[in-house]
Formats: sequence, C-alpha cells, structure tokens
Amino acid sequence: MFTHIWKKEIQGELYTWKSMLWLVIASLLFSFTSYLLLTNKELSLLDQTELLWLLGKIIVGVALLILTIDASSIINVEFERETAESLFLSPVSLRDFILGKLLASITLWAAVFLVSIPYIIVTSAGSHLAWAFIGYIALLGMLGVVGFVFLIFGISLLYRSSKNTITTSLIILLAFATPALFTSALKNDVVSQVFSKINPIDNIFNSLDNVLVDYKISVIENWQFLLPLVIFCAITFLFLFLSAKRFTQQGIIRND
Amino acid sequence: MIRPMKKTFLLSVLLLCVSFVTRAHAAEAPPLSMQILSSKTLSGTAGDYVTVEGQIMNTGLQAVNDLTTYLSLVDTQNKLPVDLEDWSAEKGLYIGTIDAHQALPLNWKIHFVKAGTYSLIIVAEAAGYEIPQASTITKFNVSPKRNLNPRQVLPVALGTPIILIFILFLVTYKRRVEE
Repeated sequence: MFTHIWKKEIQGELYTWKSMLWLVIASLLFSFTSYLLLTNKELSLLDQTELLWLLGKIIVGVALLILTIDASSIINVEFERETAESLFLSPVSLRDFILGKLLASITLWAAVFLVSIPYIIVTSAGSHLAWAFIGYIALLGMLGVVGFVFLIFGISLLYRSSKNTITTSLIILLAFATPALFTSALKNDVVSQVFSKINPIDNIFNSLDNVLVDYKISVIENWQFLLPLVIFCAITFLFLFLSAKRFTQQGIIRND
Repeated sequence: MIRPMKKTFLLSVLLLCVSFVTRAHAAEAPPLSMQILSSKTLSGTAGDYVTVEGQIMNTGLQAVNDLTTYLSLVDTQNKLPVDLEDWSAEKGLYIGTIDAHQALPLNWKIHFVKAGTYSLIIVAEAAGYEIPQASTITKFNVSPKRNLNPRQVLPVALGTPIILIFILFLVTYKRRVEE
C-alpha cells in the first residue's frame, strides 16, 4: 500500500513545472560552483581534493536543505488540506503512510544525487577519486537525509502544521550546520569537540574530508564518522516511533 | 682543622660554581643530534604527499627529559612562516625521555598544499635547556596543480541544466497530452 502513496507523492512532486524547478536551480548552483572552482585562478590554486571536498559539502548541504523543506510539508499537507481523514479511512496504515512519504523524500534525494553525478565526475577528473566521491556522497547523503527525514516526520506528527514544522526543522538544520562550518581552530575546546563528534553534518563533512583530502577510502577508516550517523538515524527513528504512537493515541482529529 | 669562616667561604665558592655550571647547562642546547635521512630537496605538485624522514639521537651521557620535536616551515618566496594546519596532521611530536646514546626515528608525512618554495626544519626542545636543537634544512619545491579545464567543465555546467529543462518540457507536455 505504501507504493501507492509513494507514486502519488512522486507524481505530485516531479510531474509539474513548479514542483521540478528546484532541481533545475540546484543544477544551476552546482554548475556555477564547479565552473568557478575549475576556472577561477585564485580558487584553482586549491588542491583538487580540497575542491572536491568543497563541492561535496555543497551537494550534501543543498540536498539537506531541499529535503528539510520538502519533508516538513509532505505529511502536514494531508492535515492542512484535510485529506488525512479520508486517507486513514481507506485501508492505509500509519506505517504505510510514513513509509510511502519516506520513499518519496528519498526519491527527491536520489534526484539531487543523480543531477550531481556529472559535476562530481568532471571535477574529479585526473584524481582517481571519482568513484569514491560518488559512493561516499551516496552513502553519507542517504544516512543524513534518512536521519533528518525521520526527525522532521516526527515533528510533523506532533505539530500537524507546515509552518511550525518548517521553522523548527530549519532551525535544527541550522543548529547542526553552523558549527560544522567552523574552522578547526574554533573547535579546540571540549564542548565543541564533543558536539562535533555527535553532530551528523560534522560527521558527513569530516568523512568527506577523510576520503577526499586524506585518501582514507575504506569504510573501516571512516567508521568513526559513519557510526554516529547510524546512531543519529536510530535516535530519530525512535523519536518518529514515539511521535507516531502519540499520534495514534490522539487520533486524526486532535481534541485540543 | 678548617676554621668556620674559611669553611663558609669555601662553601660559598662551591655554591657559586654549581650555580655557574647550572646556568651554563641551561644556556646550552640539549645534547641531541638530528639527522635528515630523506632527500635534502623534495619536489612535487600541490596535492602530493611526501615523507620527511629523520633521526634524533641523544649524544650526551645522561637522559634528556621532556623532549618535544616540532616542524617549522617557511615560505621562502614570500619570506613568511607557514601555518601547518593543512600541511601536516602531526605538527609536533612529544617524545618524553630519550636515554643516553638512544636514537629514535622521526617521520613526518607532509601534504603539499600550495605551490612555491619552502624550507622545513625539525626543532627539538627539552626541559632545562634554553636553546632548542634544530635539524638541517629540507627544501620543498612545490609546483602548481593546474585545475584550469574550462573545456571539460563547460559542457557539463551548461548541459546539465539544459537537459533538465528539456526533461521538464517533455514531462509537462506528456501530462497535458494525457489530460
């Protein structure tokens, strides 16, 4: 049953001009960045691996931003258009509903990832890092996206309002992303270091740094970054599970 | 029998001598010899990694304590010291104690970050010595990495959004035909 919801969402997301324009804008952003990095004389003095790392951060950052906004409305729209009642009157369980919406969000991530592949290949030319770069963007991006989507879906089921969910989700994304952009000089104290270890965006960027700048390509060499991301996904899944349980107890029509 | 006054005088002289000896020791560099085993000049392109191999040896008769070695890199073109942030993951190496006549290897993996000519020295500093010990200079000749390939990037930078717009047209057209 979840495939039905997934297909319905994808038709809504990727079947009109308006809903696909963001992908073209994302592609223009990647075009501008890669062209600037490869042709600008000042930036071209950067080591190629640093350049790849920068592009990797932009791809993951854009994907997380798009997914945060999209996931914030994908569930709430059913409550705001009052279609949730009729949906749950049909033989659709909450699990199928969430799974279908999750697959739709992952499809959007897959679209961003597919669009980024030509840029990854052209910027990695001559570095022998293209496959590692593609593989790690796919793996890290997927873990980051799934973790954030679980979190946002959990918030959506609690709030049932797009506006509040978008605001909260964007603030959470910003709270994770801003310290991840700090230089290592600003991460010398214990608090920053501990936060850096648990921050999913920091772990994504550090793993990309490990692969692209330090040539540590194997999964074992990146385990210290992948494990916190897996734990982040598990924690956010637990949050979604508890939210869904609360949602079921309250019912579709909340009495507050 | 030495008289008390004479005894005091001798003791003062002795203390003075000890003080001079201690001061002389403090103003010395630690009895260490540092040899660079790798080539005196290392060349490569920005982005390459090289390993600077060296050896530190205690040439003295006593152990040297609280010993730290670190790198010092100077951009010889711009006459400026270089921040080792991206050049080496290990900027310093704390050895601790090195026994008399003991030799220890020193290996530093250096990442050539930016084109130019550089001088690298390894410095050793020990507790109780005011002057550090330095190795001979290793020269780095780093040639620039040319990433200027607009011919490769331009078709992708222009082509990808154009292909996406074309796909959008097709999808929208198909949807309208179906309707």
